[in-house]
Amino acid sequence: MVKEIERAGIPVVHLATIIPISLTIGANRIVPAVSIPHPLGNPKLSYKESKELRKELVGRAFKALQTEVDGQTVFEN
Amino acid sequence: MKLELGKIMIKDVQFGEETKVEKGTLYVNKEKIKEMVLEDKRLIKADVELARPGESVRIAPVKDVIEPRVKVEGNGQVFPGIINKVKTVGEGRTHALVGSNVVTCGKIVGFQEGLIDMSGPTAKYTPFSKTNNVCVVIEGREDLETHEYEEAGRLAGLKVAAYIGEAGKKVEPDEIVTYETKPLLEQVAEYPDLPKVGYVHMLQSQGLLHDTYYYGVDAKVMVPTFMYPTEMMDGAIVSGNCVAPCDKVTTFHHFNNPVIEDLYERHGKDINFIGVVLTNENVWLMDKERSSDMTAKLCRHLGLDGVIITEEGYGNPDTDLMMNCQKVAQEDIDVVLITDEFPGRDGKSQSVADTVPEADALVSCGNGNVIEYFPPMDKVIGTLDYIETMIGGYEGSLKEDGSIEAEIQIIIASTIANGYNTLAAKGY
Repeated sequence: MVKEIERAGIPVVHLATIIPISLTIGANRIVPAVSIPHPLGNPKLSYKESKELRKELVGRAFKALQTEVDGQTVFEN
Repeated sequence: MKLELGKIMIKDVQFGEETKVEKGTLYVNKEKIKEMVLEDKRLIKADVELARPGESVRIAPVKDVIEPRVKVEGNGQVFPGIINKVKTVGEGRTHALVGSNVVTCGKIVGFQEGLIDMSGPTAKYTPFSKTNNVCVVIEGREDLETHEYEEAGRLAGLKVAAYIGEAGKKVEPDEIVTYETKPLLEQVAEYPDLPKVGYVHMLQSQGLLHDTYYYGVDAKVMVPTFMYPTEMMDGAIVSGNCVAPCDKVTTFHHFNNPVIEDLYERHGKDINFIGVVLTNENVWLMDKERSSDMTAKLCRHLGLDGVIITEEGYGNPDTDLMMNCQKVAQEDIDVVLITDEFPGRDGKSQSVADTVPEADALVSCGNGNVIEYFPPMDKVIGTLDYIETMIGGYEGSLKEDGSIEAEIQIIIASTIANGYNTLAAKGY
């Protein structure tokens, strides 16, 4: 899906846990998520901390979306 | 470590007043088994039914399959750390009732349990259509959490298998096979000219009903370790998972791992089988990185020349498989992978979720997405209520007459990724 949407000219951020798979399938903008059963949250955190975590991840995804990339890039921070 | 495995061949199973083996027939006491299962107050219903090869019987949803075994000589008991005290096993003598199995089934735990057909065109996909099965049909209390029901079902199966196994304790086996692996330095010295080969055994450990236990330790909280292959033959590893049925490594398969069997077969002939590196398949990337780092480190530490790696499940465990492959290969060790494939019903999609350039030798165990027709059977042990939500099933899978159309991944062990089957996918 990532590749097909990009082929149509729309940049895509792949927000996913297993970076090696994102790299294998050919995603260009990759933001590492938390864990497979809970990509955008962490049950060990409090509600407030979890909300901050989600905000940070989505913020990073927006940043990645606006960044010009030259090949596959993992946005670690 | 040296283990004599005494194989008692079972050709038939019957109910009887006493649980015993006589002239190749296994007799089981139904009431005793029901009583034993219902000792666990989390289970409210238990029944025992028999399924023999060739009968018009469908068993579903199957949770685990367990070969009855018993320790005859040597330390510990079967399933140490789970239903017996923790003690290192794998030495001495063990008897197995080969050709019989305990099959736990009944109301579904998760959505990843499978079916077994004892006859018809789909029987050939599972090894358990050829064994005499004691089916333990269970039902948990209504208020049970899913993971509690899973545990109750798992323990019930193991307890029943150990109980039936006891019947073989004093029976003279039809065949005795001896397996031996020496302490590392002695083992290396025994065949100095042969390549040193190890087996990297990846245990399903994704959590949320996808767990495996090693001496009672949940595999997701362990770091990779090294073990004697014979420990597995005494039940050091127990399946607790509801992973996709086609490549679920049942407790039967941990007892009867075909990679270990074949490596022993060639041990001292053209290879020196050093032992098993045990690792896991977790859901955090950091865990995958750590475990594959440690797996490669252990393989190097042991001085291996070649390694065979198997996985359990598909999807993200393919990443663990590939990380292990890449990192072990980078230690200058030859690697062969064994896995099944999921390229879609038309075979046109990528067949594993991940890949690396080092994965240049792979044994395929078949395409789990192939659709098959399962004709109706005279008898169902368990229930067909969940067929359409089980992996491999879909809306419309179950027909009014009891027949089924589904992907073969709904069948227990049809594409099992350690090669205990006869399928392979190939390109055209």
